[in-house]
This record gives sequence, structure tokens and C-alpha cells, in this order.
Amino acid sequence: MSHLQDKLQELKQFQEDAIIRIQTLGQFNLWRANDKVDSKQWGRDKTVQLLQYLISNRQRHALHKEKIMDHLWEDGDDRDFKVALHGVNKVLEPERPSRTEPSYVIRQGVSYQLDLEKIWIDVEALEQYVIIGNEAFGEDAVVSKAAYKAAIALYQGVYLPNRVFEDWSSEEREKIQILILGAYVILAEILLNENPLESIRLAQCAIAIDKTWEDAYRLQMQAYIIKGNRPQAIKAYQKCADVLDLEYGIDPLPATKKLLKEIENLH
Amino acid sequence: MAKKADQTASFMVRFNQIIFEEDGESKVQWRGKVSHVQGGEDQSFSDFNDAVKFIQERLADLTIEATKDKSPELQDSLLKKSFSLWKTMAKEGPKVIMETIKDPRKQVAHLQDQISDFGEDLMDKVPIDQWRNASRSDFNSIKDSISQLADEMKKLNAKVDAISKPVKTSRAPKTTKKATTPKKK
Repeated sequence: MSHLQDKLQELKQFQEDAIIRIQTLGQFNLWRANDKVDSKQWGRDKTVQLLQYLISNRQRHALHKEKIMDHLWEDGDDRDFKVALHGVNKVLEPERPSRTEPSYVIRQGVSYQLDLEKIWIDVEALEQYVIIGNEAFGEDAVVSKAAYKAAIALYQGVYLPNRVFEDWSSEEREKIQILILGAYVILAEILLNENPLESIRLAQCAIAIDKTWEDAYRLQMQAYIIKGNRPQAIKAYQKCADVLDLEYGIDPLPATKKLLKEIENLH
Repeated sequence: MAKKADQTASFMVRFNQIIFEEDGESKVQWRGKVSHVQGGEDQSFSDFNDAVKFIQERLADLTIEATKDKSPELQDSLLKKSFSLWKTMAKEGPKVIMETIKDPRKQVAHLQDQISDFGEDLMDKVPIDQWRNASRSDFNSIKDSISQLADEMKKLNAKVDAISKPVKTSRAPKTTKKATTPKKK
């Protein structure tokens, strides 16, 4: 078993074993020991926001309390922060004895961060799957394909859709979008000859996220030709040309035009 | 005073670099997307000026929104001080320059429409009616003025010459006289 395959397996295992699992893509949900935490247990929205903020900034180690407060509260004071943090800890560990250190939110002085070794978060897992997919690409097609598929399976929609107007969430949303666009296009490319219909679907998913993603149109054209559907291949080109003209006022790339010529010359 | 959140505009700008070969030459193209976080709108761009324009428009809207409860005078003043001019310039600036070169008359009329969107006060301060025919009539009048000025200069030179000559001729005989008189004596 290769090193990357081990990593892939570990990630899948972690998703199954983790006591706390969080979904942020498409909608926000938290499972504690396989039980979904309902809105009553969350209480205030600020409690949810604080956890979501910690997730959005999970890779920036040790977030200073002042910085968190500055982003989440208009004129918040220490008490507001303490209440929200208490709410988060209560949701994550309702049975934690008082005066013991929380297990999932690590505190260092006045800085806080989530323990990613213990909490499974879909966006974190998605990123790790894409990393494995990229590392295995060109070396181990089976692992690469499995990793991209796992990443795509996690993408249930936009990151924290109910926080799209909050600037603290936009960086993570953008990062995930770019990662998933790449995963769709690379997997569509890997599957082109093996499963052109799936390539067309994956490319369409990429176009649904960003309608100007030219690689996706080119993959659709190639996949339609493999399927022997010349009119649809030309239609995909036309759609691409229309969108690029509308959005940027530019023509498709020479590679896309060349592909169209090749398609037109087919008999 | 508006809330801090209402006074904040965040933008996410995505650049996608595309390097390709065309006619045996390596080329690079930038395709981008700018999103306004709080408003949710976005716009694609291949020219960064369009992204700047998008941002400036949102910033101007922010000022308008934040001052909607103020007196019209104060709102006007704040707008002028902060972003209204930016907005006009960002919205129409590059286009104005290009179109003014192509068709000055039409463009001045277009610019007038743009300014009138900001109300009477700005119209009063920008006497664009006086600029409307600047490209042709003002050029002719400047040309005429220069011709007149040149004529005046000629006349003036002629007068100066005319004034200078008698002075020289009157002095010369005097000197001669002074020089010659003692000799005669």
C-alpha cells in the first residue's frame, strides 16, 4: 500500500471515527457522537458564528481574542466573547466537568484554535483529499481518482451559505471554490476516455460554479466527440464563446478554437 | 451614525492567469472576477480598470446609503468629498477619453447626462454647456485671436521701427554737427 493510499485511508477512517463532525458546505451541521446538534442546543447565533469563525480561520494558529471580537461584534466586550465561547464548548462537550480544560477548543493565553486532530470538518477533509489527489496525479491514477472523488463527494454546495455576506467567511469560500473547480476539471480529464459522460457532468459542475471556466467547456467538447455527438460538441464551443464574449469581451483561447476546427473537420 | 458593518465593504478579487501560444508567439491573458462580499454581486473582468470601476461604484453606493438620512446639502457635500467624482470618473473615465477623441460633440453631451445624474448642484459647478462646442468654435476663435495678435504684433513692430528711425537720424546729424562745428571754428 502506497504512502498516499495510507493517507487516503486514514482520512476516510477519521471521518467515521471522529466524535465531532462538522458540515459547512451547502449547509451548516454538527454531529456529536453521530447525533445532530439541533438549533435549541446552539442557543444564540453568536455561538454558531464563533465556531464558524474558528473553522474559517482554523489554519491560522492561535487566534487572538481581540481579533475575533473585532470581526464578530460591533461593540462586543469580554462578556459577549465568554458567553459565546462557553456556548461553543457546551455544544462540543456538554458533559465536560467544570474547571477542566476544553478538549476541542485549544486555549493558549488569550488565543484560541480548534483541535483539527479531534474534529472532522468537511472543508479541511476536502482540502486534504485534493492535496492527495494532486500528489498522486501522474503517479498513481487509482489513488488520485479516489481522492478527487472523495473531495467532490464532500462538496455539497457553497461554504457556509448563510454567511456569504460576512467578510470573515469569504476567504475560505473562495479557497474552497478554487480547489473544487480544479478537482472537477482534473477528474473530468482523468475520466475522459474511460467515462466521457461523467466527464461531461463534472465539467458542467465546474461551469455551474464559474461559467467562464474555459477548460471545462473544452473537456465537454472532447467528451462529446468521444461519445460521437458532434452537434453537442459544437454547441459546447458556442456556449463557451458566448459566455467569454459576454463576460470579458474576448474570444476563446487558440486551443479551444483549434479543437473546434478539428471537430468541424470530422466526417 | 451608521453601524460599523454598514460602513465596511469587502471585495474578493480572483485572477486567473492564462498563458498560451498564438501565431507562434507566447501570450498571457488575465481573467478575473471581483465580488462584493456584503452585497453579493460580482463581475468578470479582463481589464483591471473594470474591477476598480466595480469597487468604486460599490464604495460610492456605501456613501449614499450611509448619508441617506442626512440633509440633502450634507449628503451632497459628503458625496462630492468622497466618492461621487470617483464614481463618475471610474464609470465613464476611460470611455470618455476614447469617445471624446472619436466624437467630441457627442461625448460632451454624454458627459453632461452623466453629471446631471448627480443633481443640480454639480451641474451648476460644471459649466459644461460652455464646453459643448469647444472642439470646433473655440479652436476657430483661438485661431482668429492668434491671427489678430500676429497682425497687431506686425503693426506694433512697424510702429516701433518708425519711432526708432527718426531718433537715430536726428541724433546723427547732431553728433556730426558737434563734431564738425569746432573744426569749422
